[in-house]
Amino acid sequence: MNDMDSEVLGLETKGVSRRDFIKVCTTAAAAVGLPAWAGEKMAENVAKGKKPSVIWLHFQECTGCTESLLRTSHPDVGSLILDLVSVDYHETLFAAAGRQIEEALEKALHENEGKFVLVVEGAIPEKDGGIYCQVGGKKAIDTLNAVAAKAGAIIAIGSCASWGGVPSAAPNPTGATGAPQILKGKTVVTLPGCPANPYNLLGTVLQYATFGTLPALDDLGRPKFAYGRVIHEDCQRRPHFDAGRFAQAFGDEGHRNGYCLYKLGCKGPQTHANCSLLDFCEVPGAWPVGIGHPCVGCTEQGIGFNVPIYTNLPIQNPTAPMAYPAVHPDHTVLGKSALAVGVGGAVIGAIVGAGVVATRKISAESEKSERKE
Amino acid sequence: MSAHDHPKAIGGSLLDRSMLMLLALFGVAAVVMAYRFFAGVGPVSNMTDGFTWGIWEPVNVVVFTGIGAGAYSVGLLCYLLNKGQYHGLVRPAVLVGAIAYTLGGSSIMIALGRYWNSYLLPWVPWWNLSSALLEVAICVIVYVSVLWIEVLPSVLDGAAASRSPRWSAIGKTWGPRLAKAMPYIIALAILLPTMHQSSLGGLMLIAGPKIHPLWHTALLPTLFLVSCLSMGFGAVVALVTILNLTWNAKHDPKLFADMSKVNAGMLLFYVVLRVADVAWSGKLRFLALDFPTFLFVAELALFLAPALMFLSPRVQRNKGRMFGAALLAVAAGAAYRVDAYLTMYRPAGWTADGKPIAAGWNYWPSLGETIVTVGMAAIGVALFIFISRKFPVVVVEDVRAHTTVGSGPAKAVASR
Amino acid sequence: MRISRRDLLKGAAVAGATTALAGTASAREAVEPRPEAVGMLFDATQCVGCRACQTACKRANKLPVDLETGETGGQYDAPRDLNSTTKNVIKAVEGANGPTYMKQQCMHCVDPSCVSVCMMGALHKEGEGKKKIPGERAGTGIVVYDKNTCVGCRYCQIGCAFNVPKFEWFDAFPLIVKCELCRHRADPKQEGLLSIANPACCEVCPREAVVYGRREELLAEAKRRIAAAPTRYQQHVYGEKEGGGTQVLYLAPAGVSFTQLGLPELPDRSQASFSESVSHAPYLHGVTPVALYLGMAALIARSRKKEEAAEHREEGK
Repeated sequence: MNDMDSEVLGLETKGVSRRDFIKVCTTAAAAVGLPAWAGEKMAENVAKGKKPSVIWLHFQECTGCTESLLRTSHPDVGSLILDLVSVDYHETLFAAAGRQIEEALEKALHENEGKFVLVVEGAIPEKDGGIYCQVGGKKAIDTLNAVAAKAGAIIAIGSCASWGGVPSAAPNPTGATGAPQILKGKTVVTLPGCPANPYNLLGTVLQYATFGTLPALDDLGRPKFAYGRVIHEDCQRRPHFDAGRFAQAFGDEGHRNGYCLYKLGCKGPQTHANCSLLDFCEVPGAWPVGIGHPCVGCTEQGIGFNVPIYTNLPIQNPTAPMAYPAVHPDHTVLGKSALAVGVGGAVIGAIVGAGVVATRKISAESEKSERKE
Repeated sequence: MSAHDHPKAIGGSLLDRSMLMLLALFGVAAVVMAYRFFAGVGPVSNMTDGFTWGIWEPVNVVVFTGIGAGAYSVGLLCYLLNKGQYHGLVRPAVLVGAIAYTLGGSSIMIALGRYWNSYLLPWVPWWNLSSALLEVAICVIVYVSVLWIEVLPSVLDGAAASRSPRWSAIGKTWGPRLAKAMPYIIALAILLPTMHQSSLGGLMLIAGPKIHPLWHTALLPTLFLVSCLSMGFGAVVALVTILNLTWNAKHDPKLFADMSKVNAGMLLFYVVLRVADVAWSGKLRFLALDFPTFLFVAELALFLAPALMFLSPRVQRNKGRMFGAALLAVAAGAAYRVDAYLTMYRPAGWTADGKPIAAGWNYWPSLGETIVTVGMAAIGVALFIFISRKFPVVVVEDVRAHTTVGSGPAKAVASR
Repeated sequence: MRISRRDLLKGAAVAGATTALAGTASAREAVEPRPEAVGMLFDATQCVGCRACQTACKRANKLPVDLETGETGGQYDAPRDLNSTTKNVIKAVEGANGPTYMKQQCMHCVDPSCVSVCMMGALHKEGEGKKKIPGERAGTGIVVYDKNTCVGCRYCQIGCAFNVPKFEWFDAFPLIVKCELCRHRADPKQEGLLSIANPACCEVCPREAVVYGRREELLAEAKRRIAAAPTRYQQHVYGEKEGGGTQVLYLAPAGVSFTQLGLPELPDRSQASFSESVSHAPYLHGVTPVALYLGMAALIARSRKKEEAAEHREEGK
């Protein structure tokens, strides 16, 4: 890796050392569940100019996912990501506009056909033929179908693209829906979240670029490394839950002491995400539960933007405390002392035996005297 | 007191070998009891929140007092039915009663968790009259005193015959006075056991779901009352037989045959009541090839066997067979009582078809509990021997020197 | 003089009369739920097994932790059952659809066995004990414990069909331990329910799986919940009738029976009512013992006189 230094990468000017660069790659690799050397390999590939091409489509959304990607702290991961991948089309980041940008899209599609990564941000309206979201006169649903047909991998970032998100909340006037529902039969990696954690995107993209594979997905297309467990299982406030210490109201003593927020309506017990494990934008505690608000379940279809924020839900996978007593738990005393059993038995035996022996003896004597008479 | 039966003190060595053995047994028990007062009931027993009464209640109280009911049964015959010829049996029976009830009461004090509060029991305003146990407790407390008062004539007789002029004076003044008051005391001595022996059965009424349906019935009080009479009669026959063998106590086969016929009636009455009750309340469906049914049948057999034996002339003629039958009568009552209190008690109750619901609890008396029960029985026997040697309790046939043969059975009987 | 058949029949008649009286005498009146009675409603479909109530109970009642060593040697850091240091416990019943949780504590029966059997009313309905204890108000129906009149006989443990009262086995000066509905946490400054009691378990429950209130209102609430989601629940409120009624009511999920949750099947008539009826009947409010005593005393005195007369005659010969 001697040939790969900051100068070559052109990162020095951005104030990022080679060391920082490898660190980010390694973090991303770790996020996806790959070993440390994978991070180095990613960095190497990027240095060799093999940057994955990315086409980023915006539909019904707030651009929050893009914003959170850009609003990262030191080192400037946002910039890094943009250096790690070759973003060939991104409506928010492009300086160009109008026809110019549409041409860029056509070009990118043509050049990297079957290789580029498609990132979808935002829900797609289906109602009335999909007329409620159009870019450059083209309906979102048509653009998505056209681009996806040529993509090597498809990633839906954010809850909107994953399953409809905010735009799909009742009464859902535009018939907003997620990318997987439009692209039936295609593998769509979904990274729900409002916004999604940038590292989950980075990890997925880099794994695809480096190894040509996608991370293991669950049946909703969510990478298992990030969405395999519910927040509740890894929550930093979990000890309070186990100890039965709950904040009863906002601002009460328990709340100020950092007690469990379950009673205030935390959706953690049913929400699949790794928020509690992977900080947003490297700011520790920068997520709802971390700042004292119950989880709203933004990643979970059917919960986020659907169940009222302060309504609490049953625990989906009761885990620790590991053991509950049975209705009739074991309290046996028998068998703890063989001596006691033996002595008890001996006493009963002695009484019965003495009775029998005495009866026999007296009977015999009595019979003898009878005969004498 | 019939003119011809004069009880007399047996005399003899107070600390012979059997006596020392009994005292040693009690000594070990005393250590356990002392430890209990420092460490609590738990460390010395296998009692748990599931089997909270262990054997101290069912055996030390319910069975011991059943044996002690000899005073009650003989008293009934002697005073109420006016069968004077049983007078000779009264003093030993009363002494056994006094001892058994005292031991029962003492065992309770050891089993009670907060024994120091029991001084409040005589405070009438706090009495909860719904509590069968309160009735038992009060009756037993009073009855123990009544029984010891009933023992007093022996002591006063002994005092009157004493060489010390002061003792003799006390005996001569108080003996006749007590004799005058006796009818009213004896009436109490018959009323109280009627009440508390039935209440001992009544104690288990509240534990409805926890007692097997074959044992839980509204007749529990009646069955306990009848079984205490059969146990009492049996205990007296067994006791006097042993006394006859050891100290040559007067043993009238005719009298015993008569009394045992009454006992046979009691035993049969019990069997009829029990079976009729089970049949009438539709509980025959609980009879199956299982442990409860086995116990039920075994109990009935234990009641039937002595009844039939008592009625057979062959048995009536033979002192030993009578003795055996009497022991069986005691064993029958004891078995019934222990079953109703302990063996057929399940903390989580029984299913609708009479199977125990596993509650996680089981029970077998710990070493400490067994030692205390045995020690209590031992001190009871020792007390009996001591008092009979010192005071005129036992009616003796003639001046034939007594032997110590049969002290084994004596222990065996008394410890039941 | 032999014992005649007549004598025997006399004896049998006495026993028979006792029996007959036991069977026929008027039953002890059933205790009706007190209109002001308070209690709790536990909804097993709501409980998630967080055991907050268990912790809160320990804290509210200043109960020590109990570490129990299991068969495997490891220490179990939570109570396995109600015991002398646990007045409230969450248990689990495994089922096809995951566990159902069960909260166990005193049921505060309408007509409790423990109160019926307690010799001096150490366990009594608040304000209705034999001994007047200052600060207790009648009508709440809370079963409270007064250690000063308890002799530790443990008859309450025998009587309780729910196996609730627990005994401090390993203590030289033991107490009976059971839930008293956190009566000590009542706030006299408050109005209404919280001035009577304030169960810590209900206060902390994150899902209102257990709620505190007036028994009548809780019963209505329980029925409302069943009516609102008939497929979710067993169509029955445990404690409305069982054993004469309890002030702690239970709802079970459809598919899990109350017996599986450890609640015994009990007849509507309380055991206390049955036991007291049978026990009291022969006494006829105390007339029987007095009459029996006087009768017997007279009989004995008469036979004594006869006997003495006979002896005199004998001596005269």
